[in-house]
Amino acid sequence: MLKVGIVGCGKIADSHAWAISMVPGAEIVAACDSEEMMAGQFAERFGIKHRFQNVREMIEEARPDVVHITTPPQSQYETGKSCLEAGCHVFVEKPFTLNYKEASELIGLAESSNLKVTTGTDEQFSHVAIRMRKLIAGGYLGGLPVHMDVYYCYDLGDERYARVFLSNRSHWVWRLPGQLMHNIISHGIAKIAEYLEGDEATVIAHGFTSDFLKKIGEHELIDELRVIIHGANQTTAYFTFSTQMRPPLREFRIFGPKNGLILDQDHHALIKVRGTSYKSYVDKFVPLNTYARQYRKNMTANARLFLKRDFHMKSGLKNLVESFYKSISENSTPPVPYREILLTAKIMDSIFNQVYRR
Amino acid sequence: MPESEHEPRAGGVIANINDPILVTGAAGFIGTRVVGNLIQRGFKNIRCLVRETSNLTRLNEVAGRKTDDVRLHLFKGNLLAKEDCLNMTREVVLIYHLAAGTGTKAFSDAFLNSVVTTRNLLDAALENKSLRRFVNVSSFAVYTNRNKRRARLLDEDSPVEKHPESRAEAYCYGKVKQDELVMKYGRERRFPYVIVRPGSVYGPGKCFVPGRVGIDTFGVFLHMGGSNRIPLTYVDNCAEAIVLAGLTPGVDGEVFNIVDDPQPSSRQFLKLYKKNVRDFKSAYMPHPVSWLFCFLWEKLSAWSRGQVPRAFTRREWSAYWAKTGYANNKLKDRLGWVPRISLHEGLRSFFNACKGK
Repeated sequence: MLKVGIVGCGKIADSHAWAISMVPGAEIVAACDSEEMMAGQFAERFGIKHRFQNVREMIEEARPDVVHITTPPQSQYETGKSCLEAGCHVFVEKPFTLNYKEASELIGLAESSNLKVTTGTDEQFSHVAIRMRKLIAGGYLGGLPVHMDVYYCYDLGDERYARVFLSNRSHWVWRLPGQLMHNIISHGIAKIAEYLEGDEATVIAHGFTSDFLKKIGEHELIDELRVIIHGANQTTAYFTFSTQMRPPLREFRIFGPKNGLILDQDHHALIKVRGTSYKSYVDKFVPLNTYARQYRKNMTANARLFLKRDFHMKSGLKNLVESFYKSISENSTPPVPYREILLTAKIMDSIFNQVYRR
Repeated sequence: MPESEHEPRAGGVIANINDPILVTGAAGFIGTRVVGNLIQRGFKNIRCLVRETSNLTRLNEVAGRKTDDVRLHLFKGNLLAKEDCLNMTREVVLIYHLAAGTGTKAFSDAFLNSVVTTRNLLDAALENKSLRRFVNVSSFAVYTNRNKRRARLLDEDSPVEKHPESRAEAYCYGKVKQDELVMKYGRERRFPYVIVRPGSVYGPGKCFVPGRVGIDTFGVFLHMGGSNRIPLTYVDNCAEAIVLAGLTPGVDGEVFNIVDDPQPSSRQFLKLYKKNVRDFKSAYMPHPVSWLFCFLWEKLSAWSRGQVPRAFTRREWSAYWAKTGYANNKLKDRLGWVPRISLHEGLRSFFNACKGK
């Protein structure tokens, strides 16, 4: 039995508790939050025996094997460090840390302690993303990716989180180096980092405040971002973050020298885009039928997953947690390679330095 | 309302006209009316807690109607900050606590913004030692509407959800826990409080069809209420009841439900709404069918291991769509409240305000 502790009992901790409950052989033994009442409500709702206000006390008394850190990112580095020093494996909610330096130190500490860490970029572990990864590993693209295009949008209008955030300048999101974007874009950047070679990337970023925010009196917050990324080899990527674009897409497109793939995260669909074309007018009919068939296949695959009762909104998190725990029990490589975590942090640092002119 | 009717009488109310009074959520739908009512009653020192980016249009309108001798302090603060709580409650004798975590689906957010905030406010009020009463604004959402003392009548003695986490509603969870906390402070620290629980508050400024009438989740409006009474309370009537709950002596530790009378049936409300605001297609779901729908949904949710969220359960059905009558005798008898705006007048101004939105 893998004993799990959770530090930080806010909204995202609920998703972690659910994901852990779906993994056989894992049990949450302790909940910790600096606000006693928050730890209490969380422990009560999820039937957790022990609750703490202090991480060290939690580790000493509950002795968890793994600690999930679901606190605001400002404290994730220090908390992660304490847990690793105390001999626990660590799952850090995204964004992994505030910057590359912290990410690098945390990973270094994990490696030197023979412990494992991972980060909560769960969309990379949704069923459809796993299907895509298998296809790419099987050579579907026909070589290294030539170009990627990522849309990662966020609807400011509907999210309670955003309203609370905008109305409360003391909210932790305001104190992040990349403010609102910092808490959201790591999902999209991590997808790019996965398919870039090497440890470095050239980044050109442009950010601005949308007219929507200006109208409601917000002039500081950057909520529109366009980025060009160039990896160590010839692979390039465009990244778009928008609060105003409709539909608010979450889409990943990747093109190789032979074929391409489109991953539609919102509809859980993966579309193969053939690199070759048909002759003359045939090309105006046959590919459309092929696309229609692919969409139907995606629908069937989703329905199958639903009937197998494995199609939850947070299936990606469950898959990620399961893979992470497996890597602990088998002492194998963690599901998110450290190179990707570090490259994601490096790209994000560069973006925020440029758009906030630091 | 004529000012003379509300001239504070010595011994008749627990606060003097110059005593500082705090209203949290003062820029909100009900909060602005509470502030307006207090001004009309002659209170001259009102502290209004608002968020940094609250829309202050309605509150400014209220402030515009006040006389020069009334001090209306806008306090831009955060109930999660203990220092803000200490500052806003300094010398305050009466707190109307309307701020709450609404509109969230996350239980932890609802708890944080309803319970932790209330704890901070209660602690600050205790530390400042000037408080005479804390009016906790709760909701009808806390009632189970099952196993009532009187079969179909919901009153203040009706049972509250013991396991609000089992309801599909984060707001209900937050409010039940908030009420429990206030009662605990009352019991253990002799903290003077009154709890008020409004029904469906309606009026200009909030255009909606109450969930007790039906739902539009599936593309067509499902009318679930049928002949059920809807516990409407016009926003000014509700504000008056809240204000009275703070001022009336001898009601510490009491709970008051706020509901106007007469109460229209769900069918009547829907018909009038369609006629006066906008027409839309709706399908009536008789009570046995809506119960079966909730039962099957609950089973589907359980079978799918939560893939289908527990949005419709038998608990929800009991709370919102079971045939129920609503009593307001206690409110009238103990606080001397009467609904000043009639249902007819209230609905007319509500529908007029909703038109074109």
